[in-house]
Amino acid sequence: MNLSDETLMAYADGELDEAQRSAVERAMREDPQVAAAVERHRALRAKVFGAYSGVLDEPVPERLRPKAAAQAPGVVSLDAVREARRQAAAATATASAPRRPAWLQWGAIAASLVVGVLAGSAWLGGGQQAWVSADANGRLVAGDALASALSDQLASAQAQGPVRIGTSFASKDGGYCRSFQLQDSAGLACREGDSWRIPVFKEGGAANTEYRQASGMPAAVLEAIDERIEGTALDAQGERAARERGWAR
Amino acid sequence: MLATDLAALLPRLRRFARSITFHREDADDLVQVAMERALGRSEQFTEGTRLDSWMFRIVKNAWIDEVRSRVRRGQVFAPEEEGEQVGDDSAEAHQQRLAVQKAMSLLSEEHRLVVGLVLVDGLSYKDAAEALEIPIGTLTSRLARARDALQKLLSDEARTMT
Repeated sequence: MNLSDETLMAYADGELDEAQRSAVERAMREDPQVAAAVERHRALRAKVFGAYSGVLDEPVPERLRPKAAAQAPGVVSLDAVREARRQAAAATATASAPRRPAWLQWGAIAASLVVGVLAGSAWLGGGQQAWVSADANGRLVAGDALASALSDQLASAQAQGPVRIGTSFASKDGGYCRSFQLQDSAGLACREGDSWRIPVFKEGGAANTEYRQASGMPAAVLEAIDERIEGTALDAQGERAARERGWAR
Repeated sequence: MLATDLAALLPRLRRFARSITFHREDADDLVQVAMERALGRSEQFTEGTRLDSWMFRIVKNAWIDEVRSRVRRGQVFAPEEEGEQVGDDSAEAHQQRLAVQKAMSLLSEEHRLVVGLVLVDGLSYKDAAEALEIPIGTLTSRLARARDALQKLLSDEARTMT
């Protein structure tokens, strides 16, 4: 089969669907030139990315910060976030959209995995967006905003957004997982195909904080990490490299 | 709310700006202008769409405006003399970084923008196309050409250094 260089580039950029990916991988096995071309694309990507990644670690000059955020440190803006969330929750409750059957099945399917009560805040990000939702099989997956944080954010270059990334590691079943904190909640997300599945999600709340480990991760999440981790956690470089590959191994 | 979300994007915006302006001061000025524009027209942001794509689009447009006005004023773009050493950067990594930054500065404006979004920031083709306001097919072929150009510049550079 003849694959265009654009296809190989898209492969290196993690842009192909599963069928196209396996076609490229077959071609790479059969033709060293194809493998070399993919490697060139990957190497260039890593090189260019690496040339600018240091900027993320630089302190942001104060003049760039929006005035409102600069004047409203931590607590005030968090309150504002919570208030907005409460309003959004109330709005959703009154709208009371019909729930999908998947919601009802969670108890049975995920009881051993999901710790704590999943309700309210975790489901509502900014406005109508869900942080976490159920896929067709009733398993928890990250919603768009959480998924993009999991795909893009580096623990080594923590963004100030609502999602904080904890540990990233290669898992025993051949993928990558990352622990995260989301406002008061925390969980573990594992990459599966194009989505982030969430085997463990623990809703926190201020009352729970004293039970947390020093890492800020609840014990349930730490246990889930121990169960799945292969070798040691990724360092900053490994984390970047995994992101480069679109969290595919 | 929007201000907080925008503040969270600042490190990425600065990195993107650095990759397209190849100049630290220009990059921060550009981000500042883009932040002001974004906050001034926050009503144009559609809830539920990606804030980062919207913001990258504003940075891109602000930069194109700047490029046009400099061309009108006859000002020349000069890359910074020396990239500054960052942290525990080894000499080799430092050299490589400079080589990439120099090669980037020699790309066309169009090519630099796609590289900045896809390779530097890591946006998907779809999101990058949205930020650049071009069809995804155009983005893909532009990215392929930009990569070829970069690859060539970098191998020329490697040859002259040895």
